[in-house]
Amino acid sequence: MSNSTSPLLGYPRPDGRWGFRNHILILPLHQALSTAARDIADATPGAVAISHDWSGEIEKDFERISKTFAGFAGNPNIFTTVVLTIGTEVEAGIIERAKKFSPTPLVEVKLSDAGSMFKLVTSALEKAGELAEKAAAESRVPAPWSSVVLGLECGGSDAYSGITANPALGVASDRLVEFGATSILAETMEILGAEHLLAARALDPKVGAQIIEVVARYERSINYEGIDIRGAQPSRGNIEGGLSTLEEKSLGAAKKAGNAPFTGVLEYADRPTAPGLYFMDTPGHDIEQLTGFAAADVNITVFTTGRGTPTGSAVIPTIKVATNSEMGLVLTDLIDINAGTISDGTQTLEEVGQIIFDEIVRVANGHLTKAEHGKHHEFNLSRLYGSTL
Amino acid sequence: MRPVSSPTGQRKILFLNPKDNIAVCLADINAGEKISQDGREISAVEAIPRGHKIATADIAKGDGIIKYGERMGHATKSIATGSHVHTHNVLGDRLSTESA
Repeated sequence: MSNSTSPLLGYPRPDGRWGFRNHILILPLHQALSTAARDIADATPGAVAISHDWSGEIEKDFERISKTFAGFAGNPNIFTTVVLTIGTEVEAGIIERAKKFSPTPLVEVKLSDAGSMFKLVTSALEKAGELAEKAAAESRVPAPWSSVVLGLECGGSDAYSGITANPALGVASDRLVEFGATSILAETMEILGAEHLLAARALDPKVGAQIIEVVARYERSINYEGIDIRGAQPSRGNIEGGLSTLEEKSLGAAKKAGNAPFTGVLEYADRPTAPGLYFMDTPGHDIEQLTGFAAADVNITVFTTGRGTPTGSAVIPTIKVATNSEMGLVLTDLIDINAGTISDGTQTLEEVGQIIFDEIVRVANGHLTKAEHGKHHEFNLSRLYGSTL
Repeated sequence: MRPVSSPTGQRKILFLNPKDNIAVCLADINAGEKISQDGREISAVEAIPRGHKIATADIAKGDGIIKYGERMGHATKSIATGSHVHTHNVLGDRLSTESA
C-alpha cells in the first residue's frame, strides 16, 4: 500500500484545522435552554443541537465542564456555533474560553437581552437560518491526510470485538497514522491490563511512563473508593458474550489502536498538537468519551460494537462497525459495516480494515453515517466528582 | 500481532497465538465434541457457547490464562484441556477483591 494522494475533501478552518461537516451547532449553556436548542435545530436544516444537565453551577468539576463546552463549541466540523445563554458571567467566561480555544465563530443569543423565551427562540432561529444558508453555500476543497483526527471507540464489547472489528479498525488507524493523520485511543478503564503493551510502543519513554501513570492513577482512585469494579467491568453483557476479565476486555479493546507508535497522552478533552497516535484519559462511558473527543478536535469517529450501541455525536460523524454478523446483519439502521465476516471466515482482517479505511474517506467526504441519519446527537458532561455542590 | 491473516473458513475454534492456553469458540460446542483443526485435536469436556473460551492445555490453579499471547488473569481452580474457561474458573489479576 503506497502513500497515495489524499482523496479527502473538507472545509479548511483559519487555524489549519479541517472540518468534514459544516454544521451550525445550537449550544445551550444552561440546561433550561436545551429544549429551545433542539427546537431551533429541528427547524433549521444544517443545524444540530445538544442538551445537557448543567445549569451554571460552579461545582468541583467546573474546570472540566468549562473546558468541555469551550472545546465542543469550537469543533472543526462546525461552521458557526449559536450559543444560547441566560446571560450570566459564568456563561460569558465559557464563551471567552471558547474564543481563545479556536477561531470557530460564536454567536450568542441571551435570554436577558431577548426578554422572553419566545423572543430568544425567534432571534436564534433567524440567526441560525442565515448561518445555515452560508454554511451550505461553502464548497469542500481537497484536504491532506493530516486533516483527519480520528476517534477510536468501542461500546458493548463481546468476545468477537478483539478478534474482528477492533483489530480491523487497528489496520485502518495504522494506515491513517502512517499517512500523517491523527488517531486517538481512549477509555482508561479499558486499557487496564494492556497498558504495558501500549507503553512499549511509545515514541518517547516519557510518553510510555505517562500511559502507565494514567492507568495507575485510575487504579488508585478505584482502590481508594473501595469499589469492586468487577461488578461493572466486564459488564454483565460482556460476560454473557464470553469475556471473563477486565484484562481480557482491555487486550481486545487496545487492538483498535493497531500497532502504530504512540506520540502522546492527552488529558480529557485536550486536543492533540501534532499528528500521530494518542491515548486520551477518559471514562469508559461511551458518550462522555465521544464528548471529550469532540472537544479535542476529533472530526470523525469509528465505533466498534458487539451489541449495537446506538450512540452518536451532534458534531462528529460516527461510523459503527459490528463485531459479529448475528447483530451486524440485523441492526441495519445502526450499523455501517459488519466485521463479523472475519470470524465467519468469509473476509480477512486486512480486507475489513480496508473497508473501514475506505468508509472513513467516504464519510469524511460527506456520506452520512447511520448514526447521523438516526440523529444520534448524544452529549454527556464528564464529572469526576458528584454533581452535588 | 494480527490474530487472523487469512479467512478463517468454517473454523469451530480460533487459535489466536501460539503462546495461548485457550482458544475462542466460533460456534456452540457440544459436550464430548471432538474438534480437529489446524493440525490440533481437542475434545470438549462440556458444552461451550459461541464466543466463549476452551482450554487448549491443562491449566493449574494459579496459572495465567493466556490470550493474544498475553496474560488476561489466572485460574482459580485447575482447568483440564477441553474445559469451558470463564468467570467460574478465572479471575483477573487486577482490581481483584479476591482474598489472598
